[in-house]
Amino acid sequence: MRAEMLKTDFKKLILGIVFLVVFAAAPAFLPEAYVYLVGMMFLFLILVISWDVIVGYTGQVNLGHTVFVGLGAYTAALMQVPSRFEGSVDFLAGMPQAPIPVSILAGGIVAGFFGLAIGIITLRLKGFYFSLVTAILPLVFLKSVFVFSDIFGGEEGFSIGLERSLAGDVTLRYYYAFVIFLISFVIIYFIVNSRIGLRFRAVRDDEDLAESIGVNVVRYKILSFVISSFFAGIGGAAIVHYRITIGPDLYDIPLMLLIILSAVIGGLGTLYGPLFGGIVIYLMKSWWLRSLLPSIPEWLPINDDVILYAILIAVGVLAPEGIWGRVREMLRERAEAESPQST
Amino acid sequence: MIDIAVRIIVYGAVVGGIWALVASGFSLIFGVARILNFAHGIFFILAAYLGIVLAKSGVNPYLATLISILFVGGFAVAIYTGLLARIKEHEVMVIIVTLAIALLVEQILIIIFGEHGISYPALISGVLRIGKTPITYKRILAFVVAVVVLALLELFIHKTRTGKMIMASSQNYEGALLVGINVDRIFIITMFLSAVLAGIGGVLYTQVFAASPAASLKALIFAFAIVILGGLGSIKGSIVAAFIIGYIITITNQFLGAQWAEFAALLVIIAILVFKPTGLFGVEE
Repeated sequence: MRAEMLKTDFKKLILGIVFLVVFAAAPAFLPEAYVYLVGMMFLFLILVISWDVIVGYTGQVNLGHTVFVGLGAYTAALMQVPSRFEGSVDFLAGMPQAPIPVSILAGGIVAGFFGLAIGIITLRLKGFYFSLVTAILPLVFLKSVFVFSDIFGGEEGFSIGLERSLAGDVTLRYYYAFVIFLISFVIIYFIVNSRIGLRFRAVRDDEDLAESIGVNVVRYKILSFVISSFFAGIGGAAIVHYRITIGPDLYDIPLMLLIILSAVIGGLGTLYGPLFGGIVIYLMKSWWLRSLLPSIPEWLPINDDVILYAILIAVGVLAPEGIWGRVREMLRERAEAESPQST
Repeated sequence: MIDIAVRIIVYGAVVGGIWALVASGFSLIFGVARILNFAHGIFFILAAYLGIVLAKSGVNPYLATLISILFVGGFAVAIYTGLLARIKEHEVMVIIVTLAIALLVEQILIIIFGEHGISYPALISGVLRIGKTPITYKRILAFVVAVVVLALLELFIHKTRTGKMIMASSQNYEGALLVGINVDRIFIITMFLSAVLAGIGGVLYTQVFAASPAASLKALIFAFAIVILGGLGSIKGSIVAAFIIGYIITITNQFLGAQWAEFAALLVIIAILVFKPTGLFGVEE
């Protein structure tokens, strides 16, 4: 049993090292435009794995993850360009420009606190209220961008200026994004594999049982939601500093669906699954789908979003436990068939 | 002043009636099959677009309306038997898959028809004046149809055998199975009814206002607010709550402007969840 565990740990370690080496070396042989894209992918991965904490590990379906992404993003952006408050919330307009790490952290903290508030209201109730409320939030926040367009910039959003980006150089920016991702991943990894993570899973698998053995179900649900929202905010704020612009697309539903699709394809509640799902989906959307689209006849009402939604429906119905999980199961079955003596 | 009062009373009743149809359909399928159907809004908007297309291609508007309402019923049954029935046990996936269906349909509608609103062919024309307030017959028609359909729904559920079977399945799934009710068939019938109610709501709504792809998500938000206010799974609660929400929306539109309607809906939801989470007629789960 112990040897078995060591073996899987060893495998994970090798995989992890390969992952690190490949992506650390990537800028050396990728063209600059692709380097930019892969760097963006890391920040997207933060959104995916943080969503997995509340949905995959704790079993609460959060349909409004982008609200926290957007909150983090707008917080960071407004801390860089406080002059946008002029004429509406004047006392904030005089705010000094914050250093970049501070504004990224602030993005996470604001998102985390908002998660706490929504969590306290909805997660103490059993049933579907959490999903219903989180489903509405992105639409309300999207509206707010247009209603208060003096501050938030409406449809076009606004730019924070190149000098406030993570780094002027694309390759350096890539490494910053990589590091932010790694830090987030490691923290989330340790949380979900700690005693706290164990309680999250207990809540997900059997709420009543968890309660009866003394787990404060509501408190752990809220804790999980706050952690998830915090990292969504970090991801959103980092995205702003990565691409220099902010816009309502960070609140919007296509991004939400991209996150859901990545996590569902990878298999909820596995962390690695959503990670690989995120890589596959992001690269597929950015490269393969773009080149595929011109080959679709004009008269068909299909664009890249339609294809992604269709894939999500198909995966959700055919492999609800995720394709990654499916593959792993098949491999395990084959391994067991080959060596029946091992337990 | 009196004009504004008359307008709010009349318009609120019309809007309330329409949302009552949509929300009672949403509530029905949730109460019976425990399906939280995020795709409910597409039945609302598909019926409207199909009716518009048929009527434009020369079909009699009344016939076009009938066809499109029956079509969304059939479409809902296809979605249920083809997709949802397979994953019904997997609550998380039901939510995700129905949301994906909703967005898929909305996206296709945007590609075909564009984001801007188009109006439904008039089923009736003319204007009634109460004092200085003009009230189109379309609005009156919408209100009358909504009330008649809701009354028929009430009769169907309480007086017919199938309706009683639906009630039985919603109250106790296993009990219904035990007394020999074909629960799967009941789910299919309920899904059909639920979509038809949304479809009627969609036709009436786009008569008065306009059809746009975004209206399907709007319908969904208001349906959420209504079922939370009325209590999840209670049809009577949904109807009462629909009129309350209808008036709240109308008053918001009148005094603040239409862009605040979603904020108002969210505020109502938050307030209910904080002060009376079970809603007006809900039961503790």
